Amino acid sequence: MLQLAKLKALCLLFWLAGVSLPAVSHHSFGMFDMASFEPLEGKVIAFQWTNPHVILWVEKHALEGAEPERWGIELTSPGNLQRAGITRRSLNPGDEIKVIMSPLRSGNAGGAFRSVENFTTGMSYQYDYGEVGSLQ
Amino acid sequence: MINVIKSAFLLLLVFSSVCLNPSVLFAQTVGGFSQQDYAELADLPDWSGIWTPDVADQRRQATENLTPWTAEAAREISDMLLADVSGNPAGIFNDCLPEGMPTWMLISHNAFEVLFTPGRVTLLGESDNNRLRRIYTDGREHPEDPDPSYHGHSIAHWEGDTLVVDTIGILPESYIAISEATGVRNGGDMHVKERIYLAEPDIMYVDMEITAPHVLTETWETRRIYERVRGFDIVEGICLQGTSFNQVDEDGEFIFLPTMPE
Repeated sequence: MLQLAKLKALCLLFWLAGVSLPAVSHHSFGMFDMASFEPLEGKVIAFQWTNPHVILWVEKHALEGAEPERWGIELTSPGNLQRAGITRRSLNPGDEIKVIMSPLRSGNAGGAFRSVENFTTGMSYQYDYGEVGSLQ
Repeated sequence: MINVIKSAFLLLLVFSSVCLNPSVLFAQTVGGFSQQDYAELADLPDWSGIWTPDVADQRRQATENLTPWTAEAAREISDMLLADVSGNPAGIFNDCLPEGMPTWMLISHNAFEVLFTPGRVTLLGESDNNRLRRIYTDGREHPEDPDPSYHGHSIAHWEGDTLVVDTIGILPESYIAISEATGVRNGGDMHVKERIYLAEPDIMYVDMEITAPHVLTETWETRRIYERVRGFDIVEGICLQGTSFNQVDEDGEFIFLPTMPE
Protein backbone atom coordinates (compact mmCIF):
# COMPACT_ATOMS: atom_id res chain seq x y z
CA MET A 1 0.00 0.00 0.00
CA LEU A 2 2.83 2.28 0.95
CA GLN A 3 4.63 1.42 -2.25
CA LEU A 4 1.58 2.38 -4.26
CA ALA A 5 1.30 5.70 -2.43
CA LYS A 6 4.99 6.32 -3.05
CA LEU A 7 4.65 5.49 -6.71
CA LYS A 8 1.67 7.80 -7.04
CA ALA A 9 3.57 10.57 -5.29
CA LEU A 10 6.58 10.18 -7.52
CA CYS A 11 4.40 10.08 -10.63
CA LEU A 12 2.69 13.28 -9.53
CA LEU A 13 6.04 14.89 -8.82
CA PHE A 14 7.44 14.19 -12.26
CA TRP A 15 4.12 15.04 -13.88
CA LEU A 16 4.09 18.41 -12.16
CA ALA A 17 7.75 19.05 -12.84
CA GLY A 18 6.92 19.04 -16.51
CA VAL A 19 4.79 22.15 -16.17
CA SER A 20 6.62 25.42 -16.54
CA LEU A 21 5.24 27.86 -14.00
CA PRO A 22 7.16 30.29 -11.84
CA ALA A 23 5.96 28.89 -8.52
CA VAL A 24 8.29 31.12 -6.62
CA SER A 25 8.27 34.07 -4.29
CA HIS A 26 6.70 37.46 -4.76
CA HIS A 27 6.98 37.74 -8.49
CA SER A 28 5.38 39.98 -11.03
CA PHE A 29 2.46 38.70 -13.07
CA GLY A 30 4.12 40.21 -16.14
CA MET A 31 4.61 36.73 -17.60
CA PHE A 32 0.83 36.37 -17.92
CA ASP A 33 -1.33 38.09 -20.50
CA MET A 34 -3.65 39.67 -17.94
CA ALA A 35 -5.79 41.27 -20.65
CA SER A 36 -6.74 37.84 -21.93
CA PHE A 37 -9.41 35.58 -20.39
CA GLU A 38 -9.37 31.99 -21.64
CA PRO A 39 -11.46 28.99 -20.55
CA LEU A 40 -9.90 25.70 -19.54
CA GLU A 41 -12.01 22.64 -18.76
CA GLY A 42 -10.62 19.66 -16.95
CA LYS A 43 -10.14 17.73 -13.74
CA VAL A 44 -8.38 18.98 -10.61
CA ILE A 45 -5.18 17.08 -9.93
CA ALA A 46 -4.12 19.09 -6.88
CA PHE A 47 -4.89 22.39 -5.19
CA GLN A 48 -1.50 23.36 -3.81
CA TRP A 49 -2.35 25.57 -0.83
CA THR A 50 1.01 27.27 -0.29
CA ASN A 51 2.50 30.70 0.17
CA PRO A 52 3.32 32.91 -1.46
CA HIS A 53 1.11 31.64 -4.28
CA VAL A 54 -1.52 28.94 -4.37
CA ILE A 55 -1.39 26.73 -7.47
CA LEU A 56 -4.24 24.83 -9.07
CA TRP A 57 -3.06 21.84 -11.09
CA VAL A 58 -5.49 20.79 -13.78
CA GLU A 59 -5.61 17.97 -16.28
CA LYS A 60 -7.18 19.56 -19.32
CA HIS A 61 -9.70 17.47 -21.18
CA ALA A 62 -8.32 16.40 -24.53
CA LEU A 63 -9.98 15.31 -27.71
CA GLU A 64 -10.40 11.57 -28.01
CA GLY A 65 -7.12 9.86 -28.78
CA ALA A 66 -5.01 12.82 -27.74
CA GLU A 67 -2.89 13.05 -24.59
CA PRO A 68 -4.48 15.12 -21.80
CA GLU A 69 -2.63 18.36 -21.11
CA ARG A 70 -1.45 19.34 -17.66
CA TRP A 71 -1.82 22.94 -16.66
CA GLY A 72 -0.68 24.98 -13.68
CA ILE A 73 -2.93 27.87 -12.73
CA GLU A 74 -1.43 30.37 -10.31
CA LEU A 75 -3.47 32.21 -7.70
CA THR A 76 -2.68 34.79 -5.06
CA SER A 77 -1.74 33.90 -1.45
CA PRO A 78 -3.82 31.75 0.93
CA GLY A 79 -4.57 34.80 3.08
CA ASN A 80 -5.82 36.90 0.18
CA LEU A 81 -7.90 33.97 -1.13
CA GLN A 82 -9.53 33.32 2.23
CA ARG A 83 -10.64 36.94 2.38
CA ALA A 84 -12.16 36.46 -1.09
CA GLY A 85 -14.09 33.39 0.06
CA ILE A 86 -11.83 30.70 -1.42
CA THR A 87 -10.45 28.01 0.92
CA ARG A 88 -8.21 24.98 0.50
CA ARG A 89 -11.38 22.90 0.40
CA SER A 90 -12.97 24.85 -2.47
CA LEU A 91 -11.30 22.69 -5.14
CA ASN A 92 -10.46 19.06 -4.57
CA PRO A 93 -8.61 16.40 -6.55
CA GLY A 94 -10.98 14.83 -9.03
CA ASP A 95 -13.37 17.78 -9.22
CA GLU A 96 -14.55 18.63 -12.73
CA ILE A 97 -14.01 22.34 -13.31
CA LYS A 98 -13.96 25.12 -15.83
CA VAL A 99 -11.30 27.73 -15.09
CA ILE A 100 -11.07 31.14 -16.65
CA MET A 101 -7.42 32.13 -16.71
CA SER A 102 -4.97 34.59 -18.19
CA PRO A 103 -2.44 32.45 -20.04
CA LEU A 104 1.34 32.59 -19.88
CA ARG A 105 2.65 34.80 -22.66
CA SER A 106 5.30 32.17 -23.39
CA GLY A 107 2.64 29.79 -24.63
CA ASN A 108 3.48 27.21 -21.96
CA ALA A 109 0.67 25.38 -20.19
CA GLY A 110 0.10 27.81 -17.37
CA GLY A 111 -1.95 30.83 -16.46
CA ALA A 112 -3.13 33.26 -13.82
CA PHE A 113 -6.41 32.40 -12.12
CA ARG A 114 -9.42 34.62 -12.77
CA SER A 115 -12.47 32.48 -11.90
CA VAL A 116 -13.64 28.88 -11.71
CA GLU A 117 -16.84 26.86 -11.90
CA ASN A 118 -16.68 23.65 -9.89
CA PHE A 119 -19.17 21.30 -11.58
CA THR A 120 -18.66 18.67 -8.88
CA THR A 121 -19.70 20.92 -6.00
CA GLY A 122 -21.80 23.43 -7.93
CA MET A 123 -19.79 26.31 -6.51
CA SER A 124 -18.16 29.20 -8.38
CA TYR A 125 -15.33 31.44 -7.28
CA GLN A 126 -13.48 34.42 -8.66
CA TYR A 127 -10.66 36.68 -7.65
CA ASP A 128 -10.75 40.33 -8.60
CA TYR A 129 -7.24 41.65 -9.04
CA GLY A 130 -8.52 45.20 -8.89
CA GLU A 131 -9.66 44.85 -5.30
CA VAL A 132 -7.77 46.06 -2.30
CA GLY A 133 -5.41 43.32 -1.17
CA SER A 134 -5.21 41.76 -4.59
CA LEU A 135 -2.11 40.23 -6.06
CA GLN A 136 -1.72 42.24 -9.23
CA MET B 1 7.98 38.74 77.90
CA ILE B 2 4.44 38.80 76.62
CA ASN B 3 5.15 42.17 75.03
CA VAL B 4 8.18 40.74 73.28
CA ILE B 5 6.08 37.85 71.89
CA LYS B 6 3.38 40.32 70.85
CA SER B 7 5.95 42.48 69.10
CA ALA B 8 7.50 39.48 67.35
CA PHE B 9 4.06 38.31 66.26
CA LEU B 10 3.16 41.75 64.92
CA LEU B 11 6.48 41.95 63.10
CA LEU B 12 5.85 38.56 61.53
CA LEU B 13 2.36 39.65 60.52
CA VAL B 14 3.67 42.81 58.87
CA PHE B 15 6.46 40.88 57.16
CA SER B 16 3.98 38.31 55.86
CA SER B 17 1.49 40.82 54.57
CA VAL B 18 4.04 43.10 52.98
CA CYS B 19 6.88 40.93 51.80
CA LEU B 20 4.99 37.81 50.80
CA ASN B 21 2.28 39.64 48.91
CA PRO B 22 3.26 39.35 45.23
CA SER B 23 1.68 42.65 44.28
CA VAL B 24 3.88 44.43 46.85
CA LEU B 25 6.94 42.35 46.18
CA PHE B 26 6.86 43.09 42.45
CA ALA B 27 5.52 46.62 42.77
CA GLN B 28 2.74 45.72 40.37
CA THR B 29 5.04 45.12 37.45
CA VAL B 30 4.78 42.52 34.74
CA GLY B 31 7.87 41.69 32.76
CA GLY B 32 9.45 45.06 33.45
CA PHE B 33 6.32 47.08 32.77
CA SER B 34 3.79 48.29 35.29
CA GLN B 35 0.08 47.70 35.26
CA GLN B 36 -0.16 51.41 34.52
CA ASP B 37 1.92 50.89 31.36
CA TYR B 38 -0.54 48.25 30.21
CA ALA B 39 -3.54 50.39 31.18
CA GLU B 40 -2.19 53.26 29.07
CA LEU B 41 -2.38 51.10 25.94
CA ALA B 42 -6.13 51.70 26.05
CA ASP B 43 -5.45 55.34 25.14
CA LEU B 44 -3.89 54.39 21.80
CA PRO B 45 -5.96 54.46 18.60
CA ASP B 46 -7.84 51.34 17.54
CA TRP B 47 -5.65 49.62 14.95
CA SER B 48 -7.14 46.17 15.52
CA GLY B 49 -8.08 43.86 12.66
CA ILE B 50 -5.78 43.23 9.74
CA TRP B 51 -4.59 45.75 7.16
CA THR B 52 -4.55 44.95 3.45
CA PRO B 53 -2.66 47.11 0.97
CA ASP B 54 -4.43 49.14 -1.70
CA VAL B 55 -2.60 47.56 -4.61
CA ALA B 56 -4.36 49.68 -7.23
CA ASP B 57 -3.05 52.77 -5.47
CA GLN B 58 0.44 51.26 -5.34
CA ARG B 59 0.32 51.05 -9.13
CA ARG B 60 -0.92 54.64 -9.36
CA GLN B 61 1.89 55.82 -7.11
CA ALA B 62 4.46 54.01 -9.25
CA THR B 63 3.38 55.97 -12.31
CA GLU B 64 2.20 59.29 -10.86
CA ASN B 65 4.65 59.91 -8.02
CA LEU B 66 7.90 59.04 -9.72
CA THR B 67 10.83 57.93 -7.62
CA PRO B 68 13.76 60.38 -7.90
CA TRP B 69 16.21 57.73 -9.09
CA THR B 70 19.79 58.61 -9.84
CA ALA B 71 20.69 58.31 -13.52
CA GLU B 72 22.29 54.91 -13.01
CA ALA B 73 19.36 53.56 -10.99
CA ALA B 74 16.93 54.99 -13.51
CA ARG B 75 18.60 53.02 -16.29
CA GLU B 76 18.23 49.78 -14.32
CA ILE B 77 14.61 50.58 -13.53
CA SER B 78 13.88 51.38 -17.16
CA ASP B 79 15.32 48.03 -18.28
CA MET B 80 13.24 46.22 -15.68
CA LEU B 81 10.03 47.99 -16.67
CA LEU B 82 10.66 47.07 -20.29
CA ALA B 83 11.33 43.43 -19.37
CA ASP B 84 8.13 43.29 -17.31
CA VAL B 85 5.88 44.59 -20.07
CA SER B 86 7.64 42.25 -22.49
CA GLY B 87 6.59 39.25 -20.44
CA ASN B 88 9.99 38.56 -18.89
CA PRO B 89 9.81 40.20 -15.47
CA ALA B 90 12.91 40.39 -13.33
CA GLY B 91 12.40 38.15 -10.34
CA ILE B 92 14.04 40.38 -7.77
CA PHE B 93 12.38 38.52 -4.88
CA ASN B 94 12.47 35.04 -6.37
CA ASP B 95 15.17 34.06 -3.89
CA CYS B 96 12.60 34.27 -1.08
CA LEU B 97 14.72 36.72 0.90
CA PRO B 98 12.61 39.38 2.63
CA GLU B 99 11.39 42.42 0.77
CA GLY B 100 12.59 44.34 3.82
CA MET B 101 12.29 48.06 4.38
CA PRO B 102 10.99 50.15 2.79
CA THR B 103 9.77 47.73 0.11
CA TRP B 104 7.41 45.81 2.40
CA MET B 105 5.45 48.98 2.99
CA LEU B 106 5.74 50.11 -0.66
CA ILE B 107 4.66 47.13 -2.75
CA SER B 108 3.41 44.28 -0.58
CA HIS B 109 0.25 42.52 -1.69
CA ASN B 110 -0.10 40.88 1.69
CA ALA B 111 -1.77 41.91 4.91
CA PHE B 112 -0.30 42.76 8.30
CA GLU B 113 -1.58 43.26 11.82
CA VAL B 114 -0.40 45.63 14.53
CA LEU B 115 0.24 44.68 18.16
CA PHE B 116 0.54 47.28 20.91
CA THR B 117 2.52 46.35 23.99
CA PRO B 118 4.21 48.70 26.46
CA GLY B 119 7.22 50.34 24.87
CA ARG B 120 6.76 48.75 21.49
CA VAL B 121 4.61 48.50 18.38
CA THR B 122 4.94 45.27 16.38
CA LEU B 123 3.86 44.73 12.79
CA LEU B 124 3.31 41.09 11.86
CA GLY B 125 2.72 40.21 8.22
CA GLU B 126 1.70 37.35 5.99
CA SER B 127 4.67 37.10 3.71
CA ASP B 128 8.47 36.80 3.90
CA ASN B 129 8.33 33.89 6.33
CA ASN B 130 5.96 35.71 8.68
CA ARG B 131 7.58 39.11 8.34
CA LEU B 132 7.75 41.39 11.33
CA ARG B 133 8.83 44.87 12.29
CA ARG B 134 9.72 45.80 15.86
CA ILE B 135 9.21 49.51 16.45
CA TYR B 136 10.39 50.69 19.85
CA THR B 137 8.34 53.38 21.56
CA ASP B 138 10.09 53.24 24.92
CA GLY B 139 12.13 56.38 24.33
CA ARG B 140 15.37 54.70 23.34
CA GLU B 141 17.67 56.10 20.68
CA HIS B 142 19.04 54.24 17.69
CA PRO B 143 22.23 52.31 18.42
CA GLU B 144 25.30 54.22 17.26
CA ASP B 145 26.35 51.39 14.96
CA PRO B 146 23.38 49.07 14.44
CA ASP B 147 23.89 45.69 12.83
CA PRO B 148 22.30 46.09 9.40
CA SER B 149 19.11 44.09 8.87
CA TYR B 150 16.38 43.82 6.27
CA HIS B 151 13.94 45.82 8.36
CA GLY B 152 16.47 48.05 10.08
CA HIS B 153 16.25 49.55 13.55
CA SER B 154 13.02 51.43 14.19
CA ILE B 155 12.16 53.84 16.99
CA ALA B 156 8.96 55.83 17.24
CA HIS B 157 6.85 58.15 19.30
CA TRP B 158 3.22 59.14 19.25
CA GLU B 159 2.10 62.59 18.08
CA GLY B 160 -1.55 62.43 19.00
CA ASP B 161 -2.89 59.38 17.17
CA THR B 162 -0.03 59.35 14.66
CA LEU B 163 2.87 56.95 15.09
CA VAL B 164 6.04 58.71 13.95
CA VAL B 165 8.65 56.11 13.02
CA ASP B 166 12.32 56.52 12.25
CA THR B 167 14.27 53.65 10.71
CA ILE B 168 17.99 53.25 10.02
CA GLY B 169 20.39 50.32 9.88
CA ILE B 170 18.84 48.77 6.78
CA LEU B 171 20.98 46.35 4.80
CA PRO B 172 22.45 47.90 1.63
CA GLU B 173 21.17 44.81 -0.20
CA SER B 174 17.57 45.67 0.69
CA TYR B 175 15.60 46.86 -2.32
CA ILE B 176 13.72 50.04 -2.97
CA ALA B 177 11.10 48.54 -5.26
CA ILE B 178 8.09 49.92 -7.09
CA SER B 179 6.85 46.48 -8.11
CA GLU B 180 7.82 42.86 -7.67
CA ALA B 181 9.77 43.10 -10.89
CA THR B 182 11.19 46.61 -10.56
CA GLY B 183 13.60 47.88 -7.96
CA VAL B 184 17.23 48.52 -7.05
CA ARG B 185 19.26 47.76 -3.96
CA ASN B 186 19.57 50.84 -1.78
CA GLY B 187 23.34 50.66 -1.40
CA GLY B 188 23.46 51.72 2.25
CA ASP B 189 22.97 54.85 4.39
CA MET B 190 19.22 54.71 3.90
CA HIS B 191 16.93 56.56 6.27
CA VAL B 192 13.17 55.99 6.31
CA LYS B 193 10.69 58.18 8.16
CA GLU B 194 7.04 57.21 8.44
CA ARG B 195 3.92 58.81 9.79
CA ILE B 196 1.28 56.12 10.32
CA TYR B 197 -2.28 57.16 11.11
CA LEU B 198 -5.94 56.53 10.37
CA ALA B 199 -7.22 58.85 7.64
CA GLU B 200 -10.66 57.31 8.07
CA PRO B 201 -11.90 54.79 10.62
CA ASP B 202 -10.86 51.83 8.43
CA ILE B 203 -8.22 53.46 6.23
CA MET B 204 -4.60 53.68 7.33
CA TYR B 205 -2.14 56.04 5.69
CA VAL B 206 1.59 55.43 5.81
CA ASP B 207 3.32 58.64 4.73
CA MET B 208 6.93 57.83 3.97
CA GLU B 209 10.07 59.86 3.45
CA ILE B 210 12.82 57.72 1.98
CA THR B 211 16.36 59.04 1.83
CA ALA B 212 18.84 56.79 0.03
CA PRO B 213 21.81 58.81 -1.24
CA HIS B 214 23.27 56.02 -3.37
CA VAL B 215 20.21 55.55 -5.57
CA LEU B 216 17.95 58.59 -5.02
CA THR B 217 18.81 62.17 -5.91
CA GLU B 218 16.54 63.55 -3.19
CA THR B 219 14.24 62.37 -0.42
CA TRP B 220 11.25 60.56 -1.92
CA GLU B 221 7.94 61.33 -0.28
CA THR B 222 5.25 58.80 -0.96
CA ARG B 223 2.07 57.48 0.66
CA ARG B 224 0.77 53.95 0.95
CA ILE B 225 -2.82 53.11 1.84
CA TYR B 226 -4.05 50.13 3.83
CA GLU B 227 -7.65 49.09 4.38
CA ARG B 228 -8.90 47.40 7.55
CA VAL B 229 -10.46 43.97 7.24
CA ARG B 230 -12.22 42.40 10.20
CA GLY B 231 -13.19 38.79 10.72
CA PHE B 232 -9.99 37.30 9.29
CA ASP B 233 -6.72 36.32 10.90
CA ILE B 234 -3.22 36.69 9.57
CA VAL B 235 -2.10 33.37 8.11
CA GLU B 236 1.34 31.81 8.02
CA GLY B 237 3.49 32.79 5.05
CA ILE B 238 6.50 30.58 4.37
CA CYS B 239 7.96 31.69 1.07
CA LEU B 240 9.89 28.59 0.04
CA GLN B 241 6.85 26.41 0.65
CA GLY B 242 5.51 27.67 -2.66
CA THR B 243 8.35 26.02 -4.54
CA SER B 244 7.66 22.65 -2.97
CA PHE B 245 5.00 20.03 -3.07
CA ASN B 246 3.75 17.68 -0.37
CA GLN B 247 5.22 14.22 -0.85
CA VAL B 248 5.56 10.94 1.01
CA ASP B 249 9.09 9.53 0.91
CA GLU B 250 10.19 5.91 0.83
CA ASP B 251 9.97 5.68 4.63
CA GLY B 252 6.42 6.97 4.63
CA GLU B 253 7.52 10.36 5.98
CA PHE B 254 5.66 13.48 4.89
CA ILE B 255 8.13 15.81 3.23
CA PHE B 256 8.31 18.71 0.79
CA LEU B 257 10.11 18.25 -2.49
CA PRO B 258 10.68 20.85 -5.18
CA THR B 259 8.15 20.73 -7.99
CA MET B 260 9.93 23.19 -10.21
CA PRO B 261 13.64 22.57 -10.76
CA GLU B 262 15.53 25.72 -11.65
